[in-house]
Amino acid sequence: MKYGLNGIASLGLCAVMAATSLTPVLAQDFTGQTLVVGVWGGDIERLLRENVIGPLEAETGAKVELLLGGTGDRVAKIYAEKDNPTMDIAFLNIFEAPQALADGVVVAPDPELQIFKDIWPDMNNGCYAMSLAALGIVYNKDAFATPPEWAALWAPELKGKIALPAFPGSEANGILAIAGRLAGADEHDADASFAKLAELKPIPLTYSNLDELLSLVDIGEVAAAPVISGYAIAGMKNYENIGFAFPTDPGPVLTRDMLCLVANSPSPELALLFAEKALGVVNQTAYANELYFGPTNSNVKLDPEISAMLIDSPEEVSTLTQLDWPFLIENRSAWTDRWNAEILVD
Amino acid sequence: MARKSTVLLLTPGLLLTGAVFLSPFVFLGLTSFWTQRPNSLLIDPAFTLVNYVRIATDSFFLGTLFRTILLGIVTVAICLLLGLPIARWIARRAVRTRGILVVLMVTPMVSGALVQTLGLVNLLSLLGVINGLLKQLGLIDWSIRFLGNEGGVLIGLVQAFLPLMVLPLITTLAKLPEDLEAAARSLGAPAWRVWVTIILPLAMPGILAGSILVFFASVTSFVTPQILGQGKVQTFGTVMYQQSALVNDWPFASALAMAMMLVLGVLLLAVRAVRRGLERRPVIGSAS
Repeated sequence: MKYGLNGIASLGLCAVMAATSLTPVLAQDFTGQTLVVGVWGGDIERLLRENVIGPLEAETGAKVELLLGGTGDRVAKIYAEKDNPTMDIAFLNIFEAPQALADGVVVAPDPELQIFKDIWPDMNNGCYAMSLAALGIVYNKDAFATPPEWAALWAPELKGKIALPAFPGSEANGILAIAGRLAGADEHDADASFAKLAELKPIPLTYSNLDELLSLVDIGEVAAAPVISGYAIAGMKNYENIGFAFPTDPGPVLTRDMLCLVANSPSPELALLFAEKALGVVNQTAYANELYFGPTNSNVKLDPEISAMLIDSPEEVSTLTQLDWPFLIENRSAWTDRWNAEILVD
Repeated sequence: MARKSTVLLLTPGLLLTGAVFLSPFVFLGLTSFWTQRPNSLLIDPAFTLVNYVRIATDSFFLGTLFRTILLGIVTVAICLLLGLPIARWIARRAVRTRGILVVLMVTPMVSGALVQTLGLVNLLSLLGVINGLLKQLGLIDWSIRFLGNEGGVLIGLVQAFLPLMVLPLITTLAKLPEDLEAAARSLGAPAWRVWVTIILPLAMPGILAGSILVFFASVTSFVTPQILGQGKVQTFGTVMYQQSALVNDWPFASALAMAMMLVLGVLLLAVRAVRRGLERRPVIGSAS
């Protein structure tokens, strides 16, 4: 009888365990909490809603509120709210993340977490590395018979037909550094970099709208422009006469989106759950397949066709031009004045 | 008792104004005397004049200030040139339809600067309607650059702020006695002389009011020069945006804003002095 009762108890326990194992795992109940995430709009927002926010809300009961905008808005907000932040996660650029960490407005990536370990080594500089891209060249196929190198943008017949991005930013700082390298120096020599870039003047367009830029490149009004790979490759599918080149001498400039956990944020546990999904295989695969942003998660396996179009491994990253971002940040204000005076003025 | 009730009635409005206008303004002024820490985006709240020294000694910012004021003056001049005939026609000839015409003038302003400016982009950009039409007609092979220069920004400013000139002019011109013009004409004055000696002096209050409105709206505008200038035309508004949102140097951006307000304050005082001078002049048609 005693044996029988134990058996029934064991059976009951097994039944409960089996039942609970079949239900979705509720990591924790966050009902009533709101996670605030600052991020870019458009396709990035769409993919985050599909792969991260939807599942996270379903699993935790929490709400995720997106603050859409540029990184400047997010940087301003997390610095202004340093002592009492309302944002939990901020997506920043490669050059802003280390500065934000140094200023104590974001949390240092935790090497003990699985998401840290899943990301390729040496990429979590300041925050968690979200995606990989590189500054390459969008070009008009009539203007260039073959994918151009950087130096080809300085051809005399193309003077006045090379568009530039707004300064400061990873694209504008990137092309300025490339100009410095073509002048035999690097980004530390501002005079050489600005003088070389000024040779492209007059600048036909300071682009802020990629569709407008691609339309102009397509019809040849603009011959070429430095653009970040993911945006360019995704956008150029709609145009027949546009190509995208990863130059080799020097290599394209490495850019990286970073996922930052805001220091002293209202919902740190929820933020970590969001980060796990955003940096996870599902979302990063979607980033690669739809946005052509290279994954940082070493577990992501891509089709060879897609992989060939992306920066998706440490070996490829080592071939890229990497800039001294702290130095560029330090000079950002002074160089903005120089850009206005020396590059924009015809 | 009456004074007490007046104070009570004013209190909510004063509190609201203090909270939403004065306190941010005070903070803006305070921030302008701070600076960014070296190698950091954090602010060092120690009093310094370094931002103002930078503005006063850097030719780029002085040049930008000069260009912004010049754009404002040219905008006023064009708005005046276009606005006077429009206002006179509405005031004199379109008596029955005046209300509708005034509403039509004001309607674009209700939609906001962004919508109007984007409309102009569609019209004037390299891929816009005008360039498309010229190409269709075979008149050009390559697009004409209407935007990305001072000309493009001027078109936008005039389009946006012309109603601010026309509305006060209509009010002033509608009050002018028609007899004065008729008398001048009957004495053989040509049309230009009627304008110069009769209409313009009498319309001066409206001209001044419209000019002040258009000038201040132009020099403080951001959306129009930012979009139509395509990053190539720097005004004080676009430089402030650049310093705050892109460079994240909020103290310096605050100093730029304070410097702009200082300049506008001085200009406003100058305009006030001119206005007082005009008021002291004998008026045509007065009893004296």
